[in-house]
Amino acid sequence: MSLRVDLLEGGRIALRTLGANRLRTLLTLTAVGIGVATLLAILGIIQGLNLAFSRQLASLGTATLNVARHPWVVAGDWWRYRNRKEITLAQMQALALQSRLASAVVPELNEASKDLTAGDQSVSQVDVIGTLADFQKIWGYEVPQGRFLTDADSDAEQRVVVLGSEVAEQLFPGRSAVGGTVRLENRPWRVIGVLAKKGQLLGQSMDLVVLVPFKTFLQVYGKRELQIDVAVDDPHLLDRAEDEVTGILRRVRSVQPGQPDDFSINRTQQLADTYQQLTSALYGVAIGVGLITLLVGGIGIMNIMLVSVRERTREIGLRRALGARRRTVVVQFLLEASLVSAVGGAIGTAVGLGLAKLVSAVTSLAAAVQPLTVMGGVAFAALVGLIFGIWPAARAAQLDPVEALRHE
Amino acid sequence: MLIKLEDIRRYYTVGTEVVHALNGISFQVSKGEFVAIIGQSGSGKSTLMNVLGCLDTPTSGRYWLNGKDVSHMSDNELADIRNREIGFIFQTFQLLPRETALGNVELPLIYRGLGARERRERARAALDQVGLSNRVTHRPNELSGGQRQRVAIARALVTEPSLLLADEPTGNLDSATGQEIIGLFEQLHRAGHTLCLVTHEPTLAARCPRAIRISDGVIVNDGPGPEVALDGRAERARAAAT
Repeated sequence: MSLRVDLLEGGRIALRTLGANRLRTLLTLTAVGIGVATLLAILGIIQGLNLAFSRQLASLGTATLNVARHPWVVAGDWWRYRNRKEITLAQMQALALQSRLASAVVPELNEASKDLTAGDQSVSQVDVIGTLADFQKIWGYEVPQGRFLTDADSDAEQRVVVLGSEVAEQLFPGRSAVGGTVRLENRPWRVIGVLAKKGQLLGQSMDLVVLVPFKTFLQVYGKRELQIDVAVDDPHLLDRAEDEVTGILRRVRSVQPGQPDDFSINRTQQLADTYQQLTSALYGVAIGVGLITLLVGGIGIMNIMLVSVRERTREIGLRRALGARRRTVVVQFLLEASLVSAVGGAIGTAVGLGLAKLVSAVTSLAAAVQPLTVMGGVAFAALVGLIFGIWPAARAAQLDPVEALRHE
Repeated sequence: MLIKLEDIRRYYTVGTEVVHALNGISFQVSKGEFVAIIGQSGSGKSTLMNVLGCLDTPTSGRYWLNGKDVSHMSDNELADIRNREIGFIFQTFQLLPRETALGNVELPLIYRGLGARERRERARAALDQVGLSNRVTHRPNELSGGQRQRVAIARALVTEPSLLLADEPTGNLDSATGQEIIGLFEQLHRAGHTLCLVTHEPTLAARCPRAIRISDGVIVNDGPGPEVALDGRAERARAAAT
């Protein structure tokens, strides 16, 4: 008898058996369904997180190098960076002159956790950045209201400010901030522009920021730690640009050959790596939980199938007496196991998608499930049924027809 | 010659003890014969039936069924032989409770790989042959014992096997219904079928043209049914006297 007939007949018997034991079938597929639902909800949330992160990362610009004393993400021996020499304006100017791959070089000064007020309104925990016009191009800022900083603002040490969207919303609720006045460090600043919303990155708002002219920053805060942002036109040239920048900086900072760099070159890719590190362990645990649930469902299927084989011993004996081969019996029971599991998987998939949707509606986590995951859920469930059906099916096929026919 | 057994032995190991269920059985059955195999329980007649039905293979000896040596076939080959050559009729009917009479009769044809339409036609014809054409869609629990056994006989007939093998076919029936079933067997015999009936009842064996008596795994008598059936009574009397 052909395998095709085995499959058709096995499928027919499986459907009939599952229909005949409705409660048992329901309980079994619930177990598998819960497993698949858990796994799928987790995967959906993970995929959503990943998607959101890569979108945010893309908004930062992928063709930018940031030169600083510290790496963005300090892992381990942070004190190693403390004694590094400052990065100076002269080094930045050397970089701007000598680099051939850089399309823009811009200085960046930072002050964290500042308070701003405008009339009765106030906002705290704001990052103040002092920089020049090219900063907009390098980091891809959009200015829907007003204008960005100019180099002339810096040269004239103008007390003007461009507000991040969240700062603008809090200080000027319901009205335009442009032309208004904010107070920072007990001085009045004129608002010349508001940045477009950037959202969050690694849980931190990128909109709690204000930008001021570079020289005005120097005048207000004195000399602070300088960072240099370097833009490259083609993202593919980023590695070569990094080599070039490293060479120029080692020369102007007089780093002896054989000595390690005394500065750090940061790329958005590092954030992606950090994200991976932070989340991979979490994902591992989450997926592990889902798999264990599915394992429980699989064991449930095995249990039910063993019961089914025992109950139907005489039927198996009869089928063997009437000419069914061992393979026919194996196929019949494997189909039964994978069918109940696949149905459970389909229900679990629907529930899992619902859960993911619920999570994204209730929390700030954005869940996204790719179509492939859905198909994978059903197929994986069927596979679980198949695997856990092997032993019961083998037991059914190994039954001696004579003994099986005599079974009470 | 349809059946040819040559020095068939079947030994089992139960724990540490070797049970000699069949101890050198040789006989032949021609096409169209109606033979009873009679013996007390434990005589080895069930083992013999399993070997004849290709459900079990002998420890030694040779068995030709319809010209093929089936004594050392593989599991798959035996499954095909059972499907093509043998029609089983069991004491407990062995019908699938969830299938209709028609579905039960179709079952062996599925394993032959026939299409649905041909299966249905042949199953209807077989049910017609046993007088159940008005019970086609009934399930076993809606049928009487005699009707159930008729469905089982139809299932045995549907593959047009060379041998009908019945194991105590009247054991679960009242005597009137049993008589009906025996009548059906005689009718099938007249139609040219070869029947082999395994039983412990002398009255049943007495109605067969030929009977073979088994005791302790060997043939103790082989002759006309009524003669061999009576001989058992003499044997029991002898056993009681000693």
